[in-house]
Amino acid sequence: MRDRGPRALTCFVRGLKLSLSKPYLALALWLIQLLMAAVLVLPISNSLHAMLDHSPAADKMVANPDYGWWETVRRTHPDLLGNFPELATGLLSPEGVKWSELPNLRGIGAVAFSLALLATVLHAFALGGMLGTLREPSSSLVTFGREGMRRMPAFLVFTFAAFGSAFAAYEWIYQRSGEEMRERAHALPTEPMALAVTGIRLLALVLALAIIKLLADSVRVVWVARPDLPPVSRFFFGIGGALSRPLRLFGILGVYAVLTAGLYVIWLILDPSAGGEARFALVPLILSQQVFVFIRLLIKIGYYAGVSEALTRTPPPEYAYSGASAPPPRPDEVPLENA
Amino acid sequence: MSAKARAWATGLLGLALVSSSLARADEFPPPAVASYQITCKLDAEAKTVEGTEVLTWKNTTSHPAPTLRFHLYLNAFRNTLSTWWRESGGVGRDGNMPDSWGSIEIRRMTASDGADLLPALRYVAPDDGNPDDRTVAEVILGKPVAPGETISLAIDFLSRLPRVSVRTGYKDDFFMVVQWFPKIGVLQDSGWNCHQFHATSEFFADFGKYDVSIDVPARYRGKVGATGSLAEKERELSGGRILYRFQQDGVHDFAWTADPGYQVIEDTFREAGIGDVALRLLLQPEHSAQAERYLKAAKASLSGYGRVLGPYPYPTLTIVDPPWGARGAGGMEYPTLITGGTSWSAPRAVHRPESVTIHEAGHQFFYGLLASNEFEEAWLDEGFNSYMTDRVLQAAYGPNHVELDVFGLHFPLGIDIHYPLDANRRYFETADWDLLASPSWKFRNRKSYGAMIYSKTALTLATLERLLGTSTMDRVLRLYADRWRYRHPTTKDFVACVRDATGRDWGWFFDRTFYASGVVDYAVEEATSVPAKAPRGLFEKDGALAAGPPADKARPKGYDTVVLVVRRGDVALPVDVLLRFVGGREHRVHWNGEARWTRFRVSGGPRLLEALVDPDEKIVLDVDRSNNGRRPESDPRAATRWTARAVFWIQNMIDFLTVAW
Repeated sequence: MRDRGPRALTCFVRGLKLSLSKPYLALALWLIQLLMAAVLVLPISNSLHAMLDHSPAADKMVANPDYGWWETVRRTHPDLLGNFPELATGLLSPEGVKWSELPNLRGIGAVAFSLALLATVLHAFALGGMLGTLREPSSSLVTFGREGMRRMPAFLVFTFAAFGSAFAAYEWIYQRSGEEMRERAHALPTEPMALAVTGIRLLALVLALAIIKLLADSVRVVWVARPDLPPVSRFFFGIGGALSRPLRLFGILGVYAVLTAGLYVIWLILDPSAGGEARFALVPLILSQQVFVFIRLLIKIGYYAGVSEALTRTPPPEYAYSGASAPPPRPDEVPLENA
Repeated sequence: MSAKARAWATGLLGLALVSSSLARADEFPPPAVASYQITCKLDAEAKTVEGTEVLTWKNTTSHPAPTLRFHLYLNAFRNTLSTWWRESGGVGRDGNMPDSWGSIEIRRMTASDGADLLPALRYVAPDDGNPDDRTVAEVILGKPVAPGETISLAIDFLSRLPRVSVRTGYKDDFFMVVQWFPKIGVLQDSGWNCHQFHATSEFFADFGKYDVSIDVPARYRGKVGATGSLAEKERELSGGRILYRFQQDGVHDFAWTADPGYQVIEDTFREAGIGDVALRLLLQPEHSAQAERYLKAAKASLSGYGRVLGPYPYPTLTIVDPPWGARGAGGMEYPTLITGGTSWSAPRAVHRPESVTIHEAGHQFFYGLLASNEFEEAWLDEGFNSYMTDRVLQAAYGPNHVELDVFGLHFPLGIDIHYPLDANRRYFETADWDLLASPSWKFRNRKSYGAMIYSKTALTLATLERLLGTSTMDRVLRLYADRWRYRHPTTKDFVACVRDATGRDWGWFFDRTFYASGVVDYAVEEATSVPAKAPRGLFEKDGALAAGPPADKARPKGYDTVVLVVRRGDVALPVDVLLRFVGGREHRVHWNGEARWTRFRVSGGPRLLEALVDPDEKIVLDVDRSNNGRRPESDPRAATRWTARAVFWIQNMIDFLTVAW
C-alpha cells in the first residue's frame, strides 16, 4: 500500500504547533478532567483529613508513603479504596481481569468505573469540539463548545463503539488467552519463555487497541473534515483514510506514545511529590502537577491535530469552513451531523 | 525473698537448666526410633519410583503395639475423593493441580520372621473418616511389639509421581521426590499419631538413620541431591544407569531431587560453635545470577539461627532451586535439604529469594531438630520459624521493599516493609477468623491458616520478645532448643521454658494469644489540651462560703489535658501510655490494659503535643496502629499533600481511560 504525503513526525510536529497555537483547547480539557477528578477526590480528601490531621503518624506521611499506614487504611476502610488495589493487580497480571468481576467492584474502584463512562461522554464532546476548532483558522472556546455539541451524538456512537471494541479486544486477545495459556505457560521450559509469550499477547493487544484507536480517530477526523458527504460515506472515508495511510498514522501514534511515556518517566524520576516539604512545598507541588497535566494535554491535542494533518493534508477549499469558495456551513444547515 | 535474691535464684536456675540441656544437645545422633534402608529406581519416562525399604522400628512407649500405621502421602493425589482433594478443591501450591495423578502402592510387606503382613493391611482415616482416603494404612501384627522392642519390616513399593503442584512430583526431567515412601507414624502412649494428608498440613515423624540408594539414568550424573551426604562414590550400573547412595543419621525424613539441568555450586559455611557445613546449591541456569543471593541467605540463616538456638549438627545443607512451572515444589524444608523460590526477574531490593531460603534453612531448627507435630501444632515450626526469619532478615538485610508485578516481571517500589510488623500484615485481615491453637486441617481456609500459623505466631513471639527484652527471649529460645533438641516438643513445653527461663508464669499471655481468637486493639480516642480555667462557684473564705475562687486559684496557669485511651479489642495486654508535652516534658504510664478504657487528666501542665498508646510498638499484635496516637492540634499538611497526589493521579487515570477510544 502506498503511503505518500508528509512523514509521521512532520504531521505530529505540525499538529503540536497547531495545539500550541490554541492553548485554550488544552485548558478546556484540563478543566473538564479536573472537575471529573473532583468526584473522587472529595471522599478521599475528607477521609484523609479525618484520619491524618490529628494523627502523630502524619509527620512521616508528609514526606513518604508509609506501607503500614496505608495497609491499615485499606483494611479498616474498605468503603474507601474498596478492591481497587486487587483490580489494579489483576490488570497487571499475565492472566488479566475477567469482566465478570465487575459487579464485585467496591469503593473507589466502582466509582472509577462509573466515572470512566462519564469520561467517555465528555470525551466525545471534547473531541468534537477539539477537531472542529483545529480546522478553523480563527476560533475560540465558543467554537469549541459549539463544535463539541454539534458532533456529540455521532462522536458518542464512535466513542462507545471504540470503547466496546477495546473491551472486546482485551477479553478475546489478552484475558481469554491468558486463561488458556496459564497451564501451557507453566509447561514451558523457562520463565523468560513464558514472559515472552505474555509479551506477545500484550503486543497483540496493544496493536489491536492501536488499530481501534486509529480507525476511530480517522473516522472522527473525516467526519469533521468532510461535512459535505453523507454520514455513511464519511464513515467509510474515515476507515479508508486509516487503511490508506497506516504507517503514517501508526507513526503519529508512536510519536505520541513515546512523548507521553517520556513525560511520565521524567515525572517519576524527578518525583516532586516525594521527599516532603523539603523538596516541594504544597503550592509548587500542585502547580507542577497541573503544569504536567497541561503539557500532557497539549501533546494529546497535538496528536489529534497530527492525525487530522495526515488525513486531510491539503483540505480542498470547498470543504473548509472558512474556505474562499464556500461559506462555512451554519450549524442549522447541517442536520445530517446529528443523524 | 528480695527481688535481687529472686533474680539471682532465677538466673542460677536458668543456668542450671541450660547446662543440663546442653548436655543433651551434644548427644548426636539421637536414639533411632525409625530407621530406613531404601533402594529405589527412578523411571524418568514413566515418572515412577520403584523401591524396597527395610524399616527398623522401636516401640518407645510403655504399651505393646499390636498394629503399625503408615503414611502413604502420595495417595493424596490418587483421585478427587482423597481428603486432600476434598479440602483443597484441587488447588495446589501454585494454582490448580493438573490432571496428573500420583499414588503409592505397597506390593509386599513382610516381617523379619517372614510373615506376610500385606493381607492384614487396611486403610484408615483417623481425622475425617473419609473411606476413600488412602493416605494412612494400618497393619495388624501377628505378635504385638513389646515396649522397648525393635522390629524390622521389608516393604516393596511403587510410587507414581504427579506433575509438581504440591511439593512432590516432576516437571519434564525435573524430579522432586518427597513424601514418596511408606513411612511409619509416631506411636505415643496415647496411641498412633499418624494423620491423613491434608490441604494445609505438613509432617511428623520419629528420628532415625536413613540409608538410601538411588538408581537414576546416567544423564542425571552429578545432578542428584538428597538428604544427607554421599556415602560412597557414584556407581555405574548396566543399561546406562548410575547409582547414588546417601546416608544421614538423626533425621526424620528423606527427600531427593534430580534434574539434568541443574547448575551445581558448592560452598562452605563455617562459624565457630555453630557449624562447618558443606553447602550444595542446585540451581536452574536461568537463575545463575542469583547464586550468590541463595548462598548468602543460607549462611545468614545458619548463622542467625545457630547463634540463638545452638549449632547446626549436620555436615551438609542442599539448596534446591526448582525450575519454572514447578514452583509448587519450592519453599519447602526437608532434613538437610531445602527448596527455594525465586523468579527470573527477582529484583535485588526485594528479598524474596533471601526470605524463602532463610525461612526454609531455619526449618532445620524448627522442624528438623525441634521435631514438633506439624499436623497438630503447626505454629511450633512455621510460626516460630517465621518469627526467627524476620529477625535474621532484619539483621542481615534491613527492611524489605514492596514489589510491583507487571505482567510477570517484578519491580521494586521504594516503599519499606519493616520486620516483623509489615511482613506479617496478612494476619490483620483475618485476625479473628480462627483460633491459632487448632489442628492444621481445621482452619477456615488456607488464607486463615497462613495468617494464623505463620503471621500471628510470629507477631505473638515478637510481642513477647518486646515484653521480655531480646536477651531474655534469646535465653527462652535457647533453653527450649537445648531441652527439646531431637525430640517432639509441644506448646506446653515452650510455655514451661518461658516460665523456667524468666522465673515468671507467662501462661496468661499464651492463653490470650495462642488459645484465644480475639484481637488486640488499643486506641487513643480523645486528646484535648485547653488553657486552664479558673474555677467558679462558692468557695470557703474566712470560714464562710463566698462567691469566686480564692486568689491562688483565680488565675490558673497552664493547660488542662484530658486523654482517653480505649481497648477496642477483646484481648487485653499491658501497654504503656505516653503523653508528650510542649517543652519536652513526658508523662509515661503503664496500664495493665484490662479495663475497656482509661482516662488521664493533667491539670495546669504544659500544652499536650500528642498522646500515644504503646509508643514503643511493643504490642505488634495490635490490629490497628493508625489509631494508637492523637494530637490535640490539627495538622492538615499530610492529608493535603496526599489529596494533591490523589487529584493528580486521578486526572491521569481519567485521561488514560479516554485514550483508547
